[in-house]
Amino acid sequence: MVAQLDPTVVDRNTTLDTLLQTPAGRRLMTCIQCGTCAATCPYGEGMDFSPRLVINMLRRGFLDEVIQSESLLRCVACYACMAKCPRGIRLTDVLLPLVKEQTLVQQSEIPAELQKSLQNLLRYGNPMGESPRKRANWATTAGVQVPLLAQRQSNGPVEVLWFVECYTSFYARGQDNSRATAKLFDALGVDFAILGNEEKCAGDCGQLTWESGLFETLTAHNLEVFNKYRFNRIVTGDAHAFNAFRIRYPMYGLQAPVEHTTGFFARHLPQLRPLLTQRLDRRVTYHDPCCLGRAGGSYDEARALLEAIPGVKLVEMVHHRANAICCGGGGGGMWLDTYYKQKGLERLSERRVKEAIATGADVLAVACPYEVSRFEDALKVVPHDRPMVVRDVVELLAESLA
Amino acid sequence: MKPIVPKKHEPVRIGFYVCHCGTNIAGMVDVAAVAKYVATLPNVAVSRHYKYMCSDPGQELIQQDIRENRLNRIVVEACSPLLHERTFRKAAEAAGLNPFQVQMVNTREHNSWVHTDRTEATRKAMALARAAIDRVPHHKALEVKKVAINPNVLIVGGGIAGIHAALTLARAGKMVYLVEREATIGGHMAKFDKTYPTLDCAMCVLSPKMASAGSHENIHLWSYSEVSKVDGYVGNFQVTVRRKPRYIIEDLCTGCQECVDACVYREPKFADEFNLGLGKRKPVFLPFPQAIPPVTMIDPEVCLNFKRGKNPDGSHTVSDKCKKTCVEACGDRKAIDFRQTDEFKNITVGTIIMATGFKIFDAKRTPFYGYGIYPNVYNALEVERLINASGPTEGDLILRNGQRPKKVAIVHCVGSRDENTNRWCSRVCCLYSLKLAHLIKEHTDAEVYNFYIDMRTPGKGMEEFYNRIAEEGMHLIRGKVADVYPDLDDGQTGRLVVQAEDTLTNKILKIPVDMVVLGVGLEPHPDAENLRRMFNLSCSAEGWFLERHCKLAPVDTFTDGIFLAGCCQGPKDIPDSVAQAGAAAAEAMALIDKGHIEQEPNTAYILADECSGCKSCIPLCPYTAISFDETREKALINEALCKGCGTCVASCPSGSIVQNLFEDEEIFSEIRGVLAPVPA
Repeated sequence: MVAQLDPTVVDRNTTLDTLLQTPAGRRLMTCIQCGTCAATCPYGEGMDFSPRLVINMLRRGFLDEVIQSESLLRCVACYACMAKCPRGIRLTDVLLPLVKEQTLVQQSEIPAELQKSLQNLLRYGNPMGESPRKRANWATTAGVQVPLLAQRQSNGPVEVLWFVECYTSFYARGQDNSRATAKLFDALGVDFAILGNEEKCAGDCGQLTWESGLFETLTAHNLEVFNKYRFNRIVTGDAHAFNAFRIRYPMYGLQAPVEHTTGFFARHLPQLRPLLTQRLDRRVTYHDPCCLGRAGGSYDEARALLEAIPGVKLVEMVHHRANAICCGGGGGGMWLDTYYKQKGLERLSERRVKEAIATGADVLAVACPYEVSRFEDALKVVPHDRPMVVRDVVELLAESLA
Repeated sequence: MKPIVPKKHEPVRIGFYVCHCGTNIAGMVDVAAVAKYVATLPNVAVSRHYKYMCSDPGQELIQQDIRENRLNRIVVEACSPLLHERTFRKAAEAAGLNPFQVQMVNTREHNSWVHTDRTEATRKAMALARAAIDRVPHHKALEVKKVAINPNVLIVGGGIAGIHAALTLARAGKMVYLVEREATIGGHMAKFDKTYPTLDCAMCVLSPKMASAGSHENIHLWSYSEVSKVDGYVGNFQVTVRRKPRYIIEDLCTGCQECVDACVYREPKFADEFNLGLGKRKPVFLPFPQAIPPVTMIDPEVCLNFKRGKNPDGSHTVSDKCKKTCVEACGDRKAIDFRQTDEFKNITVGTIIMATGFKIFDAKRTPFYGYGIYPNVYNALEVERLINASGPTEGDLILRNGQRPKKVAIVHCVGSRDENTNRWCSRVCCLYSLKLAHLIKEHTDAEVYNFYIDMRTPGKGMEEFYNRIAEEGMHLIRGKVADVYPDLDDGQTGRLVVQAEDTLTNKILKIPVDMVVLGVGLEPHPDAENLRRMFNLSCSAEGWFLERHCKLAPVDTFTDGIFLAGCCQGPKDIPDSVAQAGAAAAEAMALIDKGHIEQEPNTAYILADECSGCKSCIPLCPYTAISFDETREKALINEALCKGCGTCVASCPSGSIVQNLFEDEEIFSEIRGVLAPVPA
């Protein structure tokens, strides 16, 4: 067993100054300095101050030294340290983002790629700086009707508000995910609609990076849009949006149930299974997204979906489920690849695809839109004899539809 | 002292005493104010506060007041009656008062320890005192009943604790039933190779004790048996023991093992339980060479003379399809009986010692250590077998791949000190890990890495042992292992990488090793919950059997006459298990040698005139103490069986059952008292 995240113990108003007075802070006082966090951290070797030391420096009143170092820029918010912590200390969702925020505030220079992305988030509502007016353009290529909530005729609430998110709206490979999801909703006869251009990034990485102000701006916008409409549940294919909706948004008033597409389709597997008629004779290995697996406890849903596809043979990487290695994209890591390279650190996506290659799989299945581009990039540089493709679980499901 | 015979219509004169208990009570309760308030209540003749009521001067104070002020009721407001009710009853009795005229008020556990507002805690102390002051005038003089005690003892579990307790009692001339679930006694200790801190061989010290337990005239050793039912009470427990069929008649088997040699299976083929599946055995087998009783048994799941699989009732069907070479070899001894079935033995004992032991933590629950996934990851008990001369490799430490390890990592705290698995420190793992480090190095000359969080080596000779092992050149690394995974650079040799932070040098270590040993912690036995119910015990939140008092009654339970020994009460090493077993045996003997039990007179009785004979109380009594008098058509309570639970009292539709010490008027007065207004 490893720790499960309990969203209720996180408090939106906690700062480094008030942390030790909170229940999460008092847990810090129980740290036995065993170093599990440091040794399981994918960038543990690259930190002057490992999570273990961050705790002790905080307890001894030396936290300034930690903030002045760049250690926390290496945190990819993968929940690995928290999952194995024998004292149940809330590292990834409480302590580390608070320290990271101060680290960036104190830096004279922020890595340019990261700064640009965060500015884009504020200005355009997406990290790539695309025009917000083009957010829903992909829908015309879906091949099925993708209704806009604003244009909905019926008076009743829509069953599924599909929160599409940024990479899946703007990136070509991300759009594959969206098209597949639309096809699956359509095939299952799900009553769904999207927000279209009204949607802005859910902001999970803003929160887990440093920018609590940016995160609150995005949260306020999205909640205002949610409040305009009536819907029964939110479903998103973005594991990070799912994380934000599940943990942080309820602190700002979100009450609707939230599901990730893997969870939603796994729940509909009895209806979906008969529709999966195309055989896919592939050896598939599945990468657990941090925000679904360790943070959400969802390991079986995606695997159940993959195994429902005729012909698919599921194989596991050495590190899987709670022990999976992060793709390196969380906590702002998505926009720090150049910085990590400069610091001589291995890209985690490369470390991960090496494990995938070792399984002999043809397909590296993922369930988070960051991973598609990260792993496809990594496969370009990591040598491998056997061809390997990266596919989101929903893409494989859609491929198996008749 | 001559008993005080209460005169008819003598007025009630209550003595009230509130204890400071140092600052335990006085720190949160204004004891002077409580005493002053109680002095104003009706019937109170004396009201005092005193530093330690349980001390000799405290008790003398009560006795002096009884004599000088003609007190006939006593109320002591102090700690839990569990601790000192007996003390104050005895003190009052010594001054000539009937001991049941004493009432205790718990203002420590129920008040001062759990509150933080001094004013409110003081008011609560007053309200609780008032309840007792209102109740105690209704108390009657009661008599303690004496019941004879059966001198026989049941010991459940034949590990080192059970064996030691059994031998101690047997030597003192008591008759002991030693019931062991497995086919041999010896428990976990019989599986160990050597023991810390002296490094003497476990079986060298254990096997003489096992043998004498097996042959002692005062010990009925029932191995491969389980307790299936327990009734009765201290001094007189009725116990049913199920003796499971081993298909060998114990009294006829000489332990020659000719049946094993003659078995149609030439080679051992089936996983050997005693060696944790690391070795093989035949369908007929002796669990291990020094097994006690030295009697073979047949595994009906794999023996050709049985049909495979169990019948719905758990029995096995004989197929009679085998050549039965074993029966032939046994010859005139005629010890093999394929038609053996469960045998139920009914015994009566006066006391019971629970020594049911522990289970090792299942390392599959920490999947990132690779146990059950990578063949070269072992738990510590498996390694004990691998380095044991009577183990599957005859003491040669050879891995599953046939290699002798050159580098070995020992991981401490697996399934201990962890919110995600078990929160407690298992106490023995640091030391057994050091011991294994020594033995592995001795056997293989491997480099040994011990990964620990805190090195915990308390106890006599233990720190010196740690020092000795460190001197031998072990790598002692302060950091918990976070990950174990195959060394991908190493091809197919099965080499593993152990990843941990060396927290003293601030470096992440990735050490390639040939073998990983998991220092698994100790857990309550999965059956503890069933046993708890069967024996009416309490368990701690973790599932260990709960002692009556963690310091002052460490082997008693909350059920009179049942005692605890060994790891069923919590993780402990062999010396402590043996010490506790001795203590449990002494406690049992203290009861037996007294010859009788004094029963609390809180029993229920029936007002025969008012009983309508509806029988509704009879099936409700958990102690089957109520019978029905057919001629008078009235229910009848057997005082000797009644435990005073009050179930029948509450159930009686006509209110014709009364319970001593809990009469309606006593309880209603108490309720009125506690609800009465107290000064602000």
